[in-house]
Amino acid sequence: MVNYIFDGTFDGLMTVIYVSYYNRQIPNDILSENSYQRNFFGDDVYISTDIDKSNKVQDAIKNKISQEALKKIFYVYLSELESSYMLIYKYVRLGFKIGKKIDNYLQNDIVHNVIKLSQRVNHEAYKMIELIRFKEIKKGLFYAKIHPDYNVLPLIVPHFAARFQNQYFVIHDVKRNLSAVYDKKSWIITDISPEKTLITKEEEDYENFWKIYYKNISIDERKNLRLQKQHMPKKYWDILIEKQ
Amino acid sequence: MELHDKIRILADAAKYDVSCSSSGSNRENKNGGIGNASFYGICHSWSDDGRCISLLKILFTNICIYNCSYCVNRCSNDIERALFTPDELADLTINFYRRNYIEGLFLSSAVYKSPDYTMELLIKTVKKLREDYNFNGYIHLKAIPGADINLIRLAGLYADRMSINIELPSEKSLKLLAPQKSKESIIKPMSFIHNQLLESNESKKLMRYSDKFVPAGQTTQLIIGATPESDRTILKLSENLYKLYNLKRVYYSAYIPVSNGNNISGVTSPPLLREHRLYQADWLLRYYNFKADELLSEEAPNFNILLDPKVDWALKNLSLFPVEVNTADYNMLLRVPGIGVKTAKRIIKARKESPLNYDSLKKLGVVLKRAKYFITCNGKYYGGCEIEASKIKNRLLPKTNVLEGQLSIFESFYKTENNLPIIV
Repeated sequence: MVNYIFDGTFDGLMTVIYVSYYNRQIPNDILSENSYQRNFFGDDVYISTDIDKSNKVQDAIKNKISQEALKKIFYVYLSELESSYMLIYKYVRLGFKIGKKIDNYLQNDIVHNVIKLSQRVNHEAYKMIELIRFKEIKKGLFYAKIHPDYNVLPLIVPHFAARFQNQYFVIHDVKRNLSAVYDKKSWIITDISPEKTLITKEEEDYENFWKIYYKNISIDERKNLRLQKQHMPKKYWDILIEKQ
Repeated sequence: MELHDKIRILADAAKYDVSCSSSGSNRENKNGGIGNASFYGICHSWSDDGRCISLLKILFTNICIYNCSYCVNRCSNDIERALFTPDELADLTINFYRRNYIEGLFLSSAVYKSPDYTMELLIKTVKKLREDYNFNGYIHLKAIPGADINLIRLAGLYADRMSINIELPSEKSLKLLAPQKSKESIIKPMSFIHNQLLESNESKKLMRYSDKFVPAGQTTQLIIGATPESDRTILKLSENLYKLYNLKRVYYSAYIPVSNGNNISGVTSPPLLREHRLYQADWLLRYYNFKADELLSEEAPNFNILLDPKVDWALKNLSLFPVEVNTADYNMLLRVPGIGVKTAKRIIKARKESPLNYDSLKKLGVVLKRAKYFITCNGKYYGGCEIEASKIKNRLLPKTNVLEGQLSIFESFYKTENNLPIIV
């Protein structure tokens, strides 16, 4: 009854898989040290992250299962759910057995849960791309804040880096204290939180124009707030200019 | 006039053009410009009427020389009028875009001085966006009925999508409500764009870098309920438009009676259920391989109020059911109420590996509440009743609506959203 503890990173999780195969040992559970509470009923083993081992596992997944499978696993990992680590482990074991056809086994609970969870993470990433609002806090520098349920920041930054080639921007995940910073050439994710700055008068004007536009484009005779909330959950309304 | 007033007036004037999508183009950003287009389209917000906002949808001006009865901007209507400049509009678009409020611009206009004059102003605006601002985001540009073909061709080089609205579903209605617009003035640009697209697709095969012409294709809109055409007339018109002009979408806009113009009478509330049924039928045409004649006939030219078109068809064709999910082909699976395109594809995928059992069907996305009456799984039927139209209908409809005579609950086709019957 061994539990494997790792540092919470994706590379750490991949290392756990490597070690489990190397030791021919199936762990009882896989836990992140960040939310780990010592369990007195089993032996707890801490696995140190090893980039080489992680790369080997990722290559094996790409080759023996599929590139798609690796993508799904990464998305499931970003959900940060406690149960997701063991789910990923079981999916990988199954994948090594079945191969690239694994995603056809839709009746299998492990496959079904991986697909469903990766879809939920993907869905939230998409919602962020839709609902993020930037403010120009300094000439040429745009700032946006988000607080997603899942850690989707790495999934959304490439979209904005491609789109806004000629503007500096920062996307700040206030829940996790992570910021993505783009300098017109490349982007990084850092844990340095940006200082709060005031917005310019021009920024106020554009926000105002947007609010006016938003109000007047609606057809009053077709008011349907339920449908609106379905697409735009209330939990995100605090970042929307038009809902202030 | 202040910019904020222009925005207020011209957004309000644009809202009845219901086209909302930003999809169909994968225009890339380049040369350190700003913007790209996402092929599947992105909605950035939803207004209080529940509709998505993906583009800055606005009129260049609502000053119009025409007097179409169904239109709030008709020249005889006493409303505030406004006019942008190309600079103002381009600047507004770019600044909304930078803030991720929009995917791009949807630019339409009333007919200002003349169709050609208006078209030139629209072209000036989008040219400025593409060339001066280096904008590579989405642009949907309206074609003004009656504009010169050469202007349409020029516009197409800057736009991702173009559209020209047919609005009235028959020539008779067009003559009655919009006598200044001829059928030809609408069909000619649509036909031209279609032919240009065919040509440009051919030349793309020969040269990779031919000028992009309207890469996201064209669409149109029909107004529902301002004139007496049946659902069948409208649906067959759509079917023909898809066939003849290869349109990406036909949009249906329920007529909102805002101070009715001439020759429109008896419309008190917007026909939202009817519009909803048309969209359901439109999806069946485009994704489910239905023909308009299968859904509506001369004897029954209007949609069922209580049942969606797919269920209605299934109940009229029960000899084809039940369908065995483990062996039926894709097209037959698509015909089962409760099985959509994604689910049908998953069924085909999953049953390759092992036979499907009834409990997994829900996992695959089958809506068993509806589908169970029309399928068997491994030969077993789970519907719990005889496969007979009235029996199944009774089970599908909510209890209070069972008696056909109780149409007072659905007094007219015209009901606002809050009172829509719940269709299972």
